[in-house]
Amino acid sequence: MADLFDGYPLGQQWDEMFAAPGRPRAPYSGLFTSLQPMSGEELAARADVLSQTYRDAGVTFAHAGEEQPFPLDIVPRVIGHQEWAVIERGVGQRVRALEAFLADVYGAGQVFADRVVPRSVVTTSAHFHRAAHGLVPPNGVRVHVSGIDLVRDEAGDFRVLEDNLRSPSGVSYVITNRAAMSQVLPELFADHRILPVADYPGRLLAALKASAPPSVADPTVVLLTPGVYNSAYFEHALLARQMGVELVEGRDLVCSGGQVSMRTTDGQQRVDVIYRRIDDEFLDPVHFRSDSVIGCAGVLNAARAGRVTIANAVGNGVADDKLLYTWVPDLIQYYLGEQPILQNADTYRLDEPDTVEWVLASLDQLVLKPVDGSGGKGIVIGPRADERTLEELAVKVRSSPRDWIAQKPIGLSTSPTLINGRIAPRHVDLRPFAVNDGDDVWVLPGGLTRVALPEGELVVNSSQGGGSKDTWVITPPRPAVESAPEHEVTRIEFTTADLPADPPAQDPGPPNDNAVAQSQQQQQTAMFANMAAGRRRAEPGDGHVGEHGRGEGAPC
Amino acid sequence: MIVVPQSQRQTGPTQFHAQTGPVRVPSDRWRLQVVHRSEFRYGGPVRSSYNEARMTPENSSRQTTLRSRVEIEPTATVHAYRDYWGSTVTAFDTHGPHTELVVQATSVVEAGPEPELPDPVDWAELATPDVLDRFGEVLRPTPLTAMDAPVVQDVRELVGDADPREAGQLVCRFVHGHMEYLTGSTNVKTNAMQAWTTGKGVCQDISHVSVGLLRALGLPARYVSGYLHPRPSAGIGTAVTGESHAWVEWWDGGWSGFDPTNVAEIGPRHVTLGRGRDYSDVPPLKGIFSGPRSEGSTVTVEVTRLA
Repeated sequence: MADLFDGYPLGQQWDEMFAAPGRPRAPYSGLFTSLQPMSGEELAARADVLSQTYRDAGVTFAHAGEEQPFPLDIVPRVIGHQEWAVIERGVGQRVRALEAFLADVYGAGQVFADRVVPRSVVTTSAHFHRAAHGLVPPNGVRVHVSGIDLVRDEAGDFRVLEDNLRSPSGVSYVITNRAAMSQVLPELFADHRILPVADYPGRLLAALKASAPPSVADPTVVLLTPGVYNSAYFEHALLARQMGVELVEGRDLVCSGGQVSMRTTDGQQRVDVIYRRIDDEFLDPVHFRSDSVIGCAGVLNAARAGRVTIANAVGNGVADDKLLYTWVPDLIQYYLGEQPILQNADTYRLDEPDTVEWVLASLDQLVLKPVDGSGGKGIVIGPRADERTLEELAVKVRSSPRDWIAQKPIGLSTSPTLINGRIAPRHVDLRPFAVNDGDDVWVLPGGLTRVALPEGELVVNSSQGGGSKDTWVITPPRPAVESAPEHEVTRIEFTTADLPADPPAQDPGPPNDNAVAQSQQQQQTAMFANMAAGRRRAEPGDGHVGEHGRGEGAPC
Repeated sequence: MIVVPQSQRQTGPTQFHAQTGPVRVPSDRWRLQVVHRSEFRYGGPVRSSYNEARMTPENSSRQTTLRSRVEIEPTATVHAYRDYWGSTVTAFDTHGPHTELVVQATSVVEAGPEPELPDPVDWAELATPDVLDRFGEVLRPTPLTAMDAPVVQDVRELVGDADPREAGQLVCRFVHGHMEYLTGSTNVKTNAMQAWTTGKGVCQDISHVSVGLLRALGLPARYVSGYLHPRPSAGIGTAVTGESHAWVEWWDGGWSGFDPTNVAEIGPRHVTLGRGRDYSDVPPLKGIFSGPRSEGSTVTVEVTRLA
């Protein structure tokens, strides 16, 4: 019987797990030791249990208009703590710079006066909302939650592909992936010290409360969802449940006299912070689309009056525009006086005729992205496009170059993935999630690794049929383990129970002993069971949402 | 439930009646009172209504607002703020059942002629990247102001080698010459090309066409919302019927204003409320309500020269 990773091919790209055939990178040594003796069939059997667990829990994502199970690959992605520290600092830096930029755009506009960014970049953005001008959030935070999309290039460096500052989704999969994996591969969790992800909802809630109007002693937070038909409804329900806040729709809210309230069975209750997962255009029919019935009329002016906080803030999209992206390194320097920790992909703006001509002549070697696209829509990967696609692209680019940016393709890193009972390399990206509470930008350890399941596919967006991987940030091994000459030997000679009971000082992870590890698993397992229950509870007509004035007719 | 946007349009001054007040020597600064009253009637009780009024005159070197208040019936909660374009906005919502909504703005302002402008810049200056970026949002067409290329070409030929300031005036006079002022010929959603094609419109349409052509020539141009006292020889203390009015400004080194509907300079009879890319940035009243259909609205503007 062949060992699991035997014959795993390494290509030009960086492989997350292997530095060379049969030689795992340091953070993967434990995983390699545990999985290598398994056969493909054995792992596939576990994977079946995993997907069954997922199906039972109802973890889905809408793809091509259909609810589909969101595939979770059984081989986790592992990030060493040193590497993670770079990501953590780099993401935090980026969020702080973009916060400063948004405050400037909706305020004094110094960045334009200083000619760092052309004003037109902002004023031509579809996401620049003049209605948000002058609206200063209570604790200054506009980017309460962000997802910064990273890829690893051929040299092994993480590069930023895109910032998501509006309603980045996917964090629920980080939580459910971890819970499901700990159920199906408990022995891996016993062998590793993995930074937990389960405190995300608590961190988010604390940040939302910190953003409440200052006069409120004990703020009431709600999560505003477009409803059960939204592709991310599962996530809305999960987060609301785990934060212990009400999941509401627009018709549950009423804004009167500048104060937002929600209808409850006990009458109206004041709302101080709205974590909204609906787009700006639908949030408030007074300022945006007047035909929107999923928002809450008057909420923007209530926020302007300082009576309620909208999270994330209205108009953030001006800072995650794909064109503005090209200026983010400059913004980091301008606002923070720092060098960017995480680099952008090599990107070209099509604002000079020479650049446009060069890009048009090199379409087959570049990635072209529409400035206003999201979810991987409209992206053309030149080296993989047929002639007709490139011809059509050339026409579009020539007629409106400003609508596009061009990037040199990055050979996205690969990660071992179970495909039809065999382990094969597949391209991955990483979306770390950051929560800004006004004092600190906290980055959830790990984030969402998306994997492009078709062979060679480079677009990993979940709305393009990708899957995901549980993503581990592992803490440093113990000195005793570190001094062992061979990892294999270590695994044989030390059972986890033999390891020292006391964790080193300032160890952020759970100690590596069986009792605690198991208790950690139990917590995760219990949480997963609750999560499944939460999903059921959130079905239409079955939860508290149904009790809130449904059918009464909304005011807005 | 029906959610209906409510708005009113700017139709420009109507013909005025015979003068009855005492005759005064024309001064270059007038004190004017404007009472702007909007009434909306509904087919049944409306339960809630969210609105924004932009009816508070601005303060500028040309104009001082001495008094301004916005009264709303039924009682409403009011929050005032300054918007992106600098307009003072009175935001209000009302929730008691009502079959009629009345918004009345009463303002007293002192207005005068436009201040001395710096020397005009040349066309080359207007085409510099700096100017294009700084004024980008008032150089690009909007859905309400976009004009077709053949019209732009005609205007280009008309303008010839005039400098930007002369060109601005030529454009306004050209539009005035080609559009008949006619109330009822257009509505609040009519865009510049539609109005141009029919050759008829009110001040809003004439201003949209002017703004569209000015921008097409490369002049940054703004739509201005306000009022006009219809009578140059108005008597003190006599209230006359006016209307919401609109005119234009373009940048030629400074902001030059002009009233294309009346082919007139901006002066003491013009009361400025606010300015933007087009009407939709500065509607005197906009909002939504839930309830039965609107059965109509009445807008009256009464202006009185006080001094």
